[in-house]
Amino acid sequence: MSAGALAHDHHHDSESTDVFGFWLYILTDCILFASLFATYLVLNHPDAYGPAFKEHVNLAYVLWETFLLLGSNFTFGLSVLSLNKGKLAMTQFWLVLTFILGAGFVGMEINEFVALAHEGFHWQASGAASAFFTLVGTHGLHVSFGLLWILITIFQLPIFKVSQIMKRRIIYLGLFWNFLDIVWIFLFSIVYLMGAV
Amino acid sequence: MQPDYGTGEKKLSVYIFGLFLCVVLTLIPFGAVMYPDLSDAKTFIVIMVSATLQFLVQVVCFLRLNYSTEQAKMNVMSFILSIFILFVVVAGSLWIMYTLNYRMMH
Repeated sequence: MSAGALAHDHHHDSESTDVFGFWLYILTDCILFASLFATYLVLNHPDAYGPAFKEHVNLAYVLWETFLLLGSNFTFGLSVLSLNKGKLAMTQFWLVLTFILGAGFVGMEINEFVALAHEGFHWQASGAASAFFTLVGTHGLHVSFGLLWILITIFQLPIFKVSQIMKRRIIYLGLFWNFLDIVWIFLFSIVYLMGAV
Repeated sequence: MQPDYGTGEKKLSVYIFGLFLCVVLTLIPFGAVMYPDLSDAKTFIVIMVSATLQFLVQVVCFLRLNYSTEQAKMNVMSFILSIFILFVVVAGSLWIMYTLNYRMMH
């Protein structure tokens, strides 16, 4: 093996380690969400003081939010496929669509929070309400940062073109974006659906 | 050559299949709660089973976790460790708080 090929291999190794490091960050973020879930579950029991979440939950609305986030994950997958095929414009197109769907999700969530607060289920109403807004809000904040990241990627694509650096960056973003949808599965199941039963 | 990230090969067919399963596994629990037909306990089981299945579908079809290369194995192992920690944090908190409640009330 020539020295050049060896250096090349070494470069690949360090890239794999980079992605693994980002994966470990995602896993620690999972643990952050686990502690917020634990807080919510402990504070939100049937005899707890404060307004009942059950009377304020609008499941049809949450179902639309879920489909927006799921759809944005799918369009993100399509953008990765386009990038791997070397189609720059298509990659950008799918990323823009991902951004629109994700922004729709965040917009709906903000609207929902405002409506809840007007109905009396606000941040200071009870321990359960505080835990609810912290848990769902932390997820919403993550999605908002993801949106910013998608926007940056859309503008980076014409600069770096279809290159190894873009392929690696889109893998980071993909891990992050998919992780947020996975957290949302447990949010709608545990917080909204179980809260509405 | 693409460096090995252990994130698996991306395929359109797998994405579409995953999306279809996720939509079904979302509609089932929402339907069970919005049109109540079962007892509360059974509805809880439907919600938890659907959530777990959708979680697995997303991990396999979208995250593409697999066990084919060294790097992929590292990803899976760290993933299992974090699920274990997650379980300890959530189940442990609930266990402590409920026994605390029991000991103070009885």
